[in-house]
Amino acid sequence: MSTVTAEAPAIHTAAAVSPLAITAVGAVTPAGLGLEALGRAVAAGLPGHAEPPVQEDETLPPRPVRAVPDLKVAELIGRKGTRHLDRTTKLALVACRLALDSLPAPVGGGSTGVVLGTSTGSIRSSSEYSLETLRQERPYLVNPSLFPNTVMNCAAGQIAIRHGLKGVNATLAGGHLAGVQVLRYARNALRQGHADRLLVGGVEEFCAQSAWGWHQSGSLTADAAVGEGAAVLVVEPEKAAHAAGRRVLARVLACETGYAGRGGLAQGLASVIGSALERSGTAPAGITSASLGSTGHVGLDRVEERALRTALGGRLPDQVVRVKESVGECCSAGGVLQIAGLLGLWQREGAGSARTAVVTAVSRDGQVGCVVLDAGSLAG
Amino acid sequence: MPESGTRRVVVTGLGAVSSAGIGAAEFTASIREGLRSTSPIASFDTTGFPHVHAGEVHDFDPAEWLRRIEPGRWGRSSQFAASAARLAVADAGLQENDLAGSRAGSVMGTTSGESAVIEQLVAQWASDGLKSLDAGRVAAVPAGRIAAAVNSELGLNGEALTLATACSASNYALGYAYDMVAGGEADYMLAGGADSVNRWAHAGFYRLGALAEEVCRPFDANRSGILTAEGGVALLLEPYDRAVARGARIYAEVLGYSVNCDAEHMVHPDPTSIAACIRAAHRSAGVTPEQIDYICAHGTGTRTNDATEVAAAREVFGDRIPPISSIKSMIGHTMGAASGFGALICCQALYEGFLPPTAGVEDIDPGLGPGVDPVPGTARPARPEVVQNHGFAFGGNNAITVLGRVA
Repeated sequence: MSTVTAEAPAIHTAAAVSPLAITAVGAVTPAGLGLEALGRAVAAGLPGHAEPPVQEDETLPPRPVRAVPDLKVAELIGRKGTRHLDRTTKLALVACRLALDSLPAPVGGGSTGVVLGTSTGSIRSSSEYSLETLRQERPYLVNPSLFPNTVMNCAAGQIAIRHGLKGVNATLAGGHLAGVQVLRYARNALRQGHADRLLVGGVEEFCAQSAWGWHQSGSLTADAAVGEGAAVLVVEPEKAAHAAGRRVLARVLACETGYAGRGGLAQGLASVIGSALERSGTAPAGITSASLGSTGHVGLDRVEERALRTALGGRLPDQVVRVKESVGECCSAGGVLQIAGLLGLWQREGAGSARTAVVTAVSRDGQVGCVVLDAGSLAG
Repeated sequence: MPESGTRRVVVTGLGAVSSAGIGAAEFTASIREGLRSTSPIASFDTTGFPHVHAGEVHDFDPAEWLRRIEPGRWGRSSQFAASAARLAVADAGLQENDLAGSRAGSVMGTTSGESAVIEQLVAQWASDGLKSLDAGRVAAVPAGRIAAAVNSELGLNGEALTLATACSASNYALGYAYDMVAGGEADYMLAGGADSVNRWAHAGFYRLGALAEEVCRPFDANRSGILTAEGGVALLLEPYDRAVARGARIYAEVLGYSVNCDAEHMVHPDPTSIAACIRAAHRSAGVTPEQIDYICAHGTGTRTNDATEVAAAREVFGDRIPPISSIKSMIGHTMGAASGFGALICCQALYEGFLPPTAGVEDIDPGLGPGVDPVPGTARPARPEVVQNHGFAFGGNNAITVLGRVA
């Protein structure tokens, strides 16, 4: 009954797309609060804060840690309504606060939305809730106020409530692909009119559960640190940013994803980088920078570099950013931190440097993705 | 104004793994008869829980349905999703090569991802500490593997996106898949959702006072709450022109959708915001309220949901609220898959010609006001032309899809 094969099975890409403007960045990382702190750490190749935010009687695996130092939540976002929030939600709220505060004027909540990347939500919150059902005298004697923390869209919902953001509110379980996926989702949501601007981010908290999970998985190299952090970008159509007089820090030219399956990861990633370059109208030779996502991942780091070389004609760009050397393994926050790391670095470089970057992502299952962005008024 | 897609998008394949049956035909037959398929929980030890019923898929053997991925490497939700997707592709009369050679991807919704896997790890933690976590199970934890399982199982090389917008996630997924096909980003998309029954949600809903003892009775004066449930669902979307060209069975056309956020409260829905979402969905679909013939309700079975959902409908439809029913009265609340099962039954309602029922309604709650028709008992023969499918969620994440019959 199928006659589909009568058509050419071409893997052609769709048409070029209009750029998105990044008009604000909020970052809370082991390098400290803000984009400048992250840019400083990335520029110097400095590791971030290494003291874990662990609770009493918790033991951690023998592996380096990168954690957000001294998170003064009450000072940053106020005390109201924060009592039952978990660290994932707090980190996300702080990153949003920093991003919104950096805009020259407040933006309307009614037409603003949220697109947030995660992997499992707060795995500390869900697993501790589950553990309570085993440890309490009665299995149902759990705290109802903490129940929303076990659901993956908790942070995005809290962001909306705090800032009155009634536009699309999406949580994407993207893991390592979350950075590409949130921008891709955001691009479509803006195009469809689900919001006029979006807070687009990723968040991952450090906790004993995920530290042990990473350690036991065997997927990280022995010296790779487990980290945490959150980064949020304010993203809107470029025309709207210009019309409102908001400074364009960088432009997202393409965000492409694909699926390679086992064994074909390097080829699949190279192919998706190629598609992203094509849709952004950028020649491989025009790429000045790369921000890598697989630093510290056994095998995947080489897959990523090989794919990049293939797509860029055998070379790596002059500027290669490995943000995880500063922030550690941040899973679903990693992608947006790759972008924030680049922007922090470009901000330090100042005016005059014309920069265009690829930001790559790959997962062991087969998901591959690439963002292409260029420097806006950050670098003249 | 939203940018309209350049291609019409239709649903040509349906797949279901549910307590009401495996495969769209079994599922639909069970729903049409108004059969309740919830039962005593078997997947975890319920000792000490006052309420012990849920909508589990007791007889699911992943090896029976999956051809390519090894079930042992994936969590239960991923197994549900991949099996439902495999069923949807077969239902659409497509061969594996048709998809693998095209720009095809998947977008799946979930509330708690691989919660059953997390609970296996919690059990290891409880008995031997975190250092005893099993590497293979750890690898199965990320919720993003749900869509990855679909792509791996079907050999798809396009996008694999898992949306975690809780209990409206499948409608978010359907909306996004529609945009991708309409806008020419993809030629085929599998859209749906999956979730697994787990202890922590059962305990949490009980403590919120939202869990029914044995029967979920939306719209009934004697309703007492939800029943948690599980399963996987997938809809195959493709361009209308291609479906016609290949002689495919077309269940329904995706006419439009809308998503918004209450931004008020994490667990209490807001009727004004939901009404705004309904209006925006109508605008997106190019229809007016008078054209809606049926509402597939979010209909969880709590008093709060019923009151909010009916109030929102009244804001938009006035005194002429279309028939509004809840399939959760039969299969329970399948969480991230719920609005996917809703979309599936909407497709069948449009194609076969019926209105899905609400089982177990004896006394329609007079507090909901006049003119509420929950289609009590069994399916009603009808010829709906345009229907809307509701999904609401924790975090105030509303998503509404609109589907129409293709003449």
